[in-house]
Amino acid sequence: MTRWGMVIDLQKCIGCYSCMVACKQEHFLPPGIFWNRVVIGETGKYPAVTKQMYPVLCNHCQEAPCVNVCPSGASTRREDGIVEIDYDKCVGCRYCVIACPYQNRTFYADGKREYWPGQGLTELELIGRELYPLQPGTVLKCNFCAERVDEGLEKGLKPGLDREATPACVITCPVTARYFGDLDDPSSEVSRLIKQKNGFQLHPEYGTDPSVYYISR
Amino acid sequence: MKPYEWMVKYTAQSEWIERRGILMWLAEVASGLGAGLYLISLFFNNLWGMFLGWLIVIALKGGFHLAYLGKPLRFWRIILKPGTSWMSRGFIFMVLFIGFAAIQMALSYWLPGTGLEVVFKVLTGITAFLLAVYTGFVMNYVNGIPFWNSALLPLLFVLGGILDGCGLIIAIGLFGGDVDIIAAEAISLVLLITTAIVIGIYLWSATYLGAAGKQAVIELTRGNIAPVLWVGVVVCGIIIPLVISISAYFAGEASPALLLFAIACETAGAFSLKYSILKAGIYSPLIPANIY
Repeated sequence: MTRWGMVIDLQKCIGCYSCMVACKQEHFLPPGIFWNRVVIGETGKYPAVTKQMYPVLCNHCQEAPCVNVCPSGASTRREDGIVEIDYDKCVGCRYCVIACPYQNRTFYADGKREYWPGQGLTELELIGRELYPLQPGTVLKCNFCAERVDEGLEKGLKPGLDREATPACVITCPVTARYFGDLDDPSSEVSRLIKQKNGFQLHPEYGTDPSVYYISR
Repeated sequence: MKPYEWMVKYTAQSEWIERRGILMWLAEVASGLGAGLYLISLFFNNLWGMFLGWLIVIALKGGFHLAYLGKPLRFWRIILKPGTSWMSRGFIFMVLFIGFAAIQMALSYWLPGTGLEVVFKVLTGITAFLLAVYTGFVMNYVNGIPFWNSALLPLLFVLGGILDGCGLIIAIGLFGGDVDIIAAEAISLVLLITTAIVIGIYLWSATYLGAAGKQAVIELTRGNIAPVLWVGVVVCGIIIPLVISISAYFAGEASPALLLFAIACETAGAFSLKYSILKAGIYSPLIPANIY
């Protein structure tokens, strides 16, 4: 069985926000909506200051609370581990937004908001609304670029290795801080990195078993 | 709050209490109030109370929930996942309650004292109880918010609902309804004391629900939400009605104006209790400290 997952190397990340921008571009995300975020902060006091970069996205949890609480069946977990939302089924109750302990879901409230207020939608935004008909009044989140993964697999490509079949944030990262692959395959790069570098998940105490791992050494 | 501070600091949920989230709060209050009033009206066999409770559930609870949804026309979809979602279960309880209560009220009006009426009274009572309790389970299921992740929450919501229902049934009695006001006051007094104890235990036990649980209690007792807890819940919701109830108990009977004032305070307490619990729903910081 396949379980798609991601490994993010915190030591490599330089906080350039490329992943955030690539994600926005890939899915034509409206203003104020981010499926990928990078937290940049500092800890310690001068001269012993450490800058921390933390890219976060939907964890595509094995035991996803958002899927369990969804009353309409809009949030589902595919067999390959990708948690996705069917916008045609979402009622906008936001129970999943509340239930996600990682706060990685966003309610898309205002469909009329423009990137350049008063200027109307750009040609690119109009194309985006046709390609990705995100519905105002529903909840949005990262889908691990499921459309790229699925299309790639149909073409016989391998997600994580072939660019066309790999999430946009992974292929855009200029320092290759992100890795994508099958967590159930012990020989995959993600599995190897988790094993060798003691990959960890965010808040394992919630029992959600996230598919996004971090390595920091 | 600066962007992304929610990832490194304790952050309160906002979806169910801020902006349109206010509707969710009002719906939750209406849920307890309507179901509680219905239950206590069943006890006193007061048809007006039942009708009012039923109306509160349909018009206020249903209306606020519907208005809150991002896609209200798809509301029927909420029923589809009762196996895992408490919201689905709640919707089913509500539909059953509305149906059973309508039949039961018709039977109580036209065919009182029949076996069928008793059967429907039991069915309606059960669904009203489930309606009062499920909102507690909806919140209790969210383990990302430790303050809500307490087994006492459903109990607190049921007690609060019946207590508010008790207040409303006394008001109905004061306006000429067929209610034993002295008995209702006695029940109200017991419920008030029990609810106050459960609130105290709930807050105390929440401090043991991890750092975020403790932080929520600090916010609630000493932070920005503290006035709502101390003035709304403790003073209005508990102390004033308790003083009036105890003085009425010992002095014989309280004046209707005083009782109405106590009921108004109690209802304000119900609104404040749900508001403060929703507002104190705090997530742990996303990023673990000292990772490097």
